[in-house]
Amino acid sequence: MSEIINAKGLACPQPVILTKKALDSQNDVTVLVDNTTAVENIKRLASSSGCSAEVAEEPGGIYKIRLKKQAGAAVADAPGYLSCSTGANPGPNVFVISSDTMGKGSDELGSLLIKAFIHTAIELENRPDVMIFYNTGVKFTAQGSDTLDDLKNLEARGVKILVCGTCANFFNIKEKVAAGIVSNMYDIADTLSRAGRIVQP
Amino acid sequence: MSGTSSRYFIALFDSVSHVLQSEKLLKKAGVSHKIVPVPREISSECGVCIRFLPEHRDDVENALAGKVDKFEIRQL
Repeated sequence: MSEIINAKGLACPQPVILTKKALDSQNDVTVLVDNTTAVENIKRLASSSGCSAEVAEEPGGIYKIRLKKQAGAAVADAPGYLSCSTGANPGPNVFVISSDTMGKGSDELGSLLIKAFIHTAIELENRPDVMIFYNTGVKFTAQGSDTLDDLKNLEARGVKILVCGTCANFFNIKEKVAAGIVSNMYDIADTLSRAGRIVQP
Repeated sequence: MSGTSSRYFIALFDSVSHVLQSEKLLKKAGVSHKIVPVPREISSECGVCIRFLPEHRDDVENALAGKVDKFEIRQL
């Protein structure tokens, strides 16, 4: 008996995730999907996990894919899934604090705004996974900063804080950095390039 | 932190420039405080206020007395 997974109407990459989960415990799985991207991705999953895949088109634009594990089939490495328009496995939510002010016009006002922003970050539904501080933004991570308690709080909740070492050096606060990891451009550029979302106030 | 307990007091002002002015006065007087957004339950406008611990209430009032016209202190 084939386990049936109804993935109709589900956004990419949900159908693949559900199928993969089912294949962990079943040898025979039937998936119902309603788009060709999902069909292609499930076929790729089948070949990478040593399954046969039979696709049948049903009325109403529904595709029925039956996957059966093949005894002794070689399991391939990472399959090349078609990219999802919604972004499969999105990268981290990265907040970039590139200045000690927020917005342009008045720096006096901007310094007030950015402090309020940093204080609020922890309460956000889409809390940052990583926060990167560079240029004058690094001042927030130094001893005596008004936002140090907020940053320590964020770190305590698992938010990774990267502090630009070159910038800390430039402002002569390298010895005073009291939150986060003093980092370099390799890590900063790498994190930015992998980000699922970048928020820059 | 804010919103989860009533451990703090906040000083609310009628303008952002008074917040800025008060921040300077409190820094000069060495009173610990923090700039935070005005809690949603008080106002939906984009405002900031000054938060402090109850034991600093007198220091805050003294630092601002006669220098900032209008402010209101509330418990969070």
